[in-house]
Amino acid sequence: MTMLALTLLAPLLAGLAALALRRAPEAIALASVGLGFLAAMAVLAGAIAGDAVELVLPGLPQMPLRLVVTPLTAVISTMVATVAACVVVYAVGYMRSDPERPRFFGILLLFVAAMQALVLAGDWITVLAAWELIGFSSYLLIGFWHGRDGVPGAATRAFLYTRSADLGLYLGIFVLIGWAGSSEISATLAITGTPALVAGVLLLIGAMGKSAQVPLQDWLQRAMAGPTPVSALLHSATLVAAGAILLIRVAPMLSGGALLAIGLVGGITAVVAGLIALAERDLKRLLAASTSSQYGLMLLAIGAGVPVAALLHLIAHAAIKSTLFLGAGVFQHDRDSTDMEAVAGAGRSRPLILTGFGLAALALAGIPPLAGFFSKDAILAAALAAPGAAWLAPLALAGTVLTGAYMARALRVLWWGEAQPVSGRGMGWMSAGMAVLTALAAGLGFAFVPLEHLLGAELPPEGTAMILGLVAALSGLVLGWFVTPARLMGPVLPWAQRGFAVAGGMDGLVLRPTLAIAAACERFERHLLAAQLGLVRVLGLGTASRTEAADNRLYAATLDLGRLNLRLGDSAETTDTKGIDGLIFGLVDRTIAAGRRLRLLQSGLIHRELALTVMGIAVIAAVLLILPISS
Amino acid sequence: MARDLSFLFPELLLASTVVLMLVAEMLRAPRLALAFGLIGLGLSTALTLPLLEADTSVFGGTYRVDLLSGWAKLILLPGTALALLMTRAEIAGKDREGSVYVLLCLVTLGALMLAGGGDMMLLVLGVVLTGLGSFAMVAWPRDDAATEAAMKYLVFGAVTGSVMIYGLTFWFGGAGSTLFSELGALQDKPLIALAGLVAVLIGLGYKAALVPFQFWAPDAYDGAPVSVAAFLSVITKVAAIFAFAQVLRDLPVATGWPVVVALIAAVTMTFGYLAALVQSNVVRLLAYSSVAQAGYFMLGIVALGTSPLALPSVIVFGAAYVAMNLGAFAVIMVAGRDLDDFKGFGRARPVIGVAMVVFLLSLTGIPPLFGFVGKVLLFGAAIEAGYLWLAVIGILNSVLALAVYLRIVVPMYQAREGEAVRAEVALPLLVVLGATALVTALMGLFAGVFPG
Repeated sequence: MTMLALTLLAPLLAGLAALALRRAPEAIALASVGLGFLAAMAVLAGAIAGDAVELVLPGLPQMPLRLVVTPLTAVISTMVATVAACVVVYAVGYMRSDPERPRFFGILLLFVAAMQALVLAGDWITVLAAWELIGFSSYLLIGFWHGRDGVPGAATRAFLYTRSADLGLYLGIFVLIGWAGSSEISATLAITGTPALVAGVLLLIGAMGKSAQVPLQDWLQRAMAGPTPVSALLHSATLVAAGAILLIRVAPMLSGGALLAIGLVGGITAVVAGLIALAERDLKRLLAASTSSQYGLMLLAIGAGVPVAALLHLIAHAAIKSTLFLGAGVFQHDRDSTDMEAVAGAGRSRPLILTGFGLAALALAGIPPLAGFFSKDAILAAALAAPGAAWLAPLALAGTVLTGAYMARALRVLWWGEAQPVSGRGMGWMSAGMAVLTALAAGLGFAFVPLEHLLGAELPPEGTAMILGLVAALSGLVLGWFVTPARLMGPVLPWAQRGFAVAGGMDGLVLRPTLAIAAACERFERHLLAAQLGLVRVLGLGTASRTEAADNRLYAATLDLGRLNLRLGDSAETTDTKGIDGLIFGLVDRTIAAGRRLRLLQSGLIHRELALTVMGIAVIAAVLLILPISS
Repeated sequence: MARDLSFLFPELLLASTVVLMLVAEMLRAPRLALAFGLIGLGLSTALTLPLLEADTSVFGGTYRVDLLSGWAKLILLPGTALALLMTRAEIAGKDREGSVYVLLCLVTLGALMLAGGGDMMLLVLGVVLTGLGSFAMVAWPRDDAATEAAMKYLVFGAVTGSVMIYGLTFWFGGAGSTLFSELGALQDKPLIALAGLVAVLIGLGYKAALVPFQFWAPDAYDGAPVSVAAFLSVITKVAAIFAFAQVLRDLPVATGWPVVVALIAAVTMTFGYLAALVQSNVVRLLAYSSVAQAGYFMLGIVALGTSPLALPSVIVFGAAYVAMNLGAFAVIMVAGRDLDDFKGFGRARPVIGVAMVVFLLSLTGIPPLFGFVGKVLLFGAAIEAGYLWLAVIGILNSVLALAVYLRIVVPMYQAREGEAVRAEVALPLLVVLGATALVTALMGLFAGVFPG
């Protein structure tokens, strides 16, 4: 019980302390993730011994908040705590010269606490709360360097993409609670039939946003504008894992149609994001696309009805991808960029880091006896044995070949090129964090058999899958190393480099039409306002035309004053606040203009406002009159 | 009679308190008036507790002693006590200090009438009682801005109030009674039901500052003392929302009121946040934000009669809203009315800065704060009542909300040129800040104490 609370409270309190004290953030962060790791290990040990621990808070009326320890939640919680500890160690070195370290470590720790709450949640309200919190803190972390070019936009995009997909989660959860009459996750998993299908599809939408599945994958690549430790923790092992974890937890409820939908979304993402990764010209963005692709494989396994295979790959991927990101962060420090031309040959000056990076890359490709080999086998076996094998198996195989190809390409870039002199500042911390994760990425596969026992799950037989998987991985690696993407992908390459933007992508399909509609509404509103005012004038204010004229002048003067103020405000803004304003106002983009226009409605002239109120009353009465006729 | 009176102990005690406070004010003893007020509010809160399980009505069904009115007392009475402390911190030692204390308690009595009224006459009484006291309090500073704001508030109140009374006569004519419980008789008289409904929407919509009846709010809040603005933005608003619940739960759904209320809710939320986005005066920003929050309240009202979550969601969000909005206004009293005053505030005053962040994030609906819990319940109620689109608009609006409130949070942690002046914060204000911050931060985890 205490240990369970500690996994959450240690990072939570430490995060608040780091933000409030604004000194020694590294020490606070290291102590708390250490403590959190030990607590998580204790919780895992308890789960292995068979203790069922539950922590209940009063929460909402008749919907108490719960944290539960089951083997599944304990395993994921341990994974989160482990990666968090390694990444924090690394970040001490990576962030050493940044003046805003307290804010960085504070928010990072708050994120870890929220993630633990999500993983250990035993009821849907906690899931919702934690889900919101990880989204919010990730927005703050991606936007950490808000003064830099493109960063506010990236943070906003990530927030809006995941936020719009969150609608699915909200609705799915309310369907579940409404149908089962309880907010406990275990109780809601008993529902069947249409409600289960509807809830499953709605939850899938929420998961697609967080796990960056096609067509919502774009935000993850742009999120690489954030600090690299954030990418290593959030955008490989935790935040993006939330979607897959959610689906793994509701897997007992899923059947037929929902499973097929999940499998197909996953399979298509595995291939499409794999192609994007292969065509990518930036190392971190390659890794981000690869993350989408790997989570696609996990969703494919869930869709194939073997969630445990997805879980194994989730754990293996967490260690592997964090290692890769941490390695990329070292090269980024050396060359001040992650552009592939800039990092060419960067591995030569850091052979140890390159070895770690390479081991993780081979592990991801699925080379035995590294961790990814076992988990990818499990996924392939699941796909081959699934009811929808005709769809899923080819997609899984293609995803595997692509994984090998883009990892080989990344290694080749780091290997071929000029070595350059490098400095050793902060390297101790960075190497230490990376070393532990590399060891895990390499050796974790041997823990999988006891893990399956603990979770009480069995994997489908692996004979064919193992051979197919190995062949696919090796051919991918060979292709990626010896054949350039241009030759490999031919005419698809430029398209993939644009992220397979169909008809202008999300921007063209959603953003621009929405803005156009908003603009049209604004125009309409202006006409309406003019018409309203004209009507009022004709009806009632004609007699007061002289006052009207005077007060129009006043109105115009007020407006000019307001405009002047705005202009003054604009010019007084420093670049510093511009970055922040960009970050905030980016959230609502052009709506700010609508806000200014609405302010005109509020002119401060009482007769005008009363007239508007009367208009409002008329509209309400009209709606009420029309309703009975239409219904 | 004796039975009826025994259910009214809290209200009677508050009324006697007001009389005692008036006497103290006549003796020019504002501190005595304050003490009477605090003790009276505390005692009537305590007297409410045994009545919480009651579900009955007194004086021929005109006044209801039920879940809603019980929780209204538990929320509004302590809220008023906090507002009293804020007022003390703001105007201590000034001329006519005690009269504000008296008016605060008198308006709260009117608010209880609104929240417990089961009769049209009582509804009118509540609107008038809350209105008259509020006009006087807004005009209290006696400067140009306050006078203008009070005038505007009064004119709006007079117009909407008379339209409401006029419309209610239709209901009386149609139903043959002034009791809300007889409103079922309007089932087959759509036009009469419509006239009264529009009237109620105007009268209470004005009190709750719903769009399109919100015009007075920013001016009145900005003209009045900050503590009075805080009081008006929570106590009268929550009372009006509860009054909505008392009236509309007896009105047949067939009259179409849920659709209209849903439309008003959607427009109010969106308008409030859009307008708040461009304010540079924090009081006005919070005025528009409280317009938007009123829209969120209406999600629960829409679900009345169709979802069991409706009443609990309104009550829980009511409690959350009182705590977080009072707290935010209390911070304005420390920092200043202008957005520029907040620059570097979080660094100069770390503890109060954190409290402000808690209030603002709770207003946004960030978990696990109290406001999040209220909003989740409201969304749940609306979805259960079949108003999915309304819940979607509410959820999308929370993105706007984040932008609105971050506009205060972000400058708080920027560096400020020059040395910040650290004025002493009055003890009553510290009490208010502490209490509201604790409730906002922790009650989200313990909202289970509320009725389910």
